[in-house]
Amino acid sequence: MNSFNLGRFSDPPILILASLAGSPKHGYAIMEDIVAFADVHLGPGTLYGAIARLESQGLIEPLPADERRRPYRLTAAGVAFLQKQLTGLETFANMGLQRLADI
Amino acid sequence: MSRNIKLAQYLVRLYPKVWRNRYEEEFLALLEQQPLSLPDGIDLCLGALDAHFHPHFGIAALSVYEKIRQMLASLRGSLLTIFCAYCGFLVAGIGFQKMNEYSGFVEATQTYGIVGLSFHLVMIGAVVALLAVLVGGIPLVAAVVRDAFARKHYGLLFLLAAPILALAVFIGATLFLEGLIPVGAPTLQTFLSRGIFIAVFLGAAVISTGALCYAVVRSEISEKLLRFAVLPAILLAFAMAVMLVATLIWGLDLRNSAPHLFNSNEGMFGTSTIGSWLTIVIEMAIATALAMISLVRGFSARSALPPAMA
Repeated sequence: MNSFNLGRFSDPPILILASLAGSPKHGYAIMEDIVAFADVHLGPGTLYGAIARLESQGLIEPLPADERRRPYRLTAAGVAFLQKQLTGLETFANMGLQRLADI
Repeated sequence: MSRNIKLAQYLVRLYPKVWRNRYEEEFLALLEQQPLSLPDGIDLCLGALDAHFHPHFGIAALSVYEKIRQMLASLRGSLLTIFCAYCGFLVAGIGFQKMNEYSGFVEATQTYGIVGLSFHLVMIGAVVALLAVLVGGIPLVAAVVRDAFARKHYGLLFLLAAPILALAVFIGATLFLEGLIPVGAPTLQTFLSRGIFIAVFLGAAVISTGALCYAVVRSEISEKLLRFAVLPAILLAFAMAVMLVATLIWGLDLRNSAPHLFNSNEGMFGTSTIGSWLTIVIEMAIATALAMISLVRGFSARSALPPAMA
């Protein structure tokens, strides 16, 4: 997935959920992970704006702080939400690839 | 400590207190791990604005009671900020109205269609805004009075009386200064008298607004009243936006229709018309922007209240 820019699908909340699907991570690790798998740099304001939204919607939850850094993990609702979003993307991608193959 | 981290710490203070209580430590830890570039600094400022628009960010871990308390405080703060913005707008509006008392502008209002229409739009907007403030504000003032008697906090009644006292001081100062302004060409005494007049006027406006806001902050206002006040606040913000646009159009059309008047010195206290108009428009724009931002924030706080409170 390196160097693959998700373009308009690089929606920060989805990127964060996808990052946390691997393992619980704190803010900086999420930021680094997203650069690694999607080549997208989230600014600190965008990252924490999205984290606050996801937390208020119950899609992620904080774990006990590791010194000053606080890791986050997906909740059951977060897993279901990400599953639904990625399935939608997969359907869309399959349809697009099918049409390209027919050209 | 590097300058970068210090700058980050200053910028984090742009975020609301509730947000900082929840995220500040980990956010600073993140900022210490990477140099703050200019785009990141801008992103951080936009994030702070976003957090102000969404006062419920950072309350997920609080108890239901604390969540309700925080959201009601945000809702009340937003409504009071809209009221303060309106008072600031009113000061600019009074300046606009006084400027239009000059015979040249009265004539222009009657002669040029768009100038006249925009002036009347400002007047209609002023009436609508005042009605909105009364509809939203009278129940709140009544609640303050009830609370003052119920809890024997009679100081609240004094705060409510502050605008009347401020008005009395302003009228007294005006009558006193009228006798001091010499007839004829402006002298140092003229400028001093005008300066004192403006200072007393602004002082009275600030004290009146501050006293009313403080009375509402110190009182126990029901959640139902606060929720209701959002509806007239929408009308108020809309009326302010209409008046701002109308004032802008008024000046632009005056420039085209009557350039001699627009380029003259018929502004407030005989200053440049362009300068006065621009000052009024800028003040109105700042007040309207503040009211709009607070309205969004108020809506956000209102919708974040638990369903049981709805």
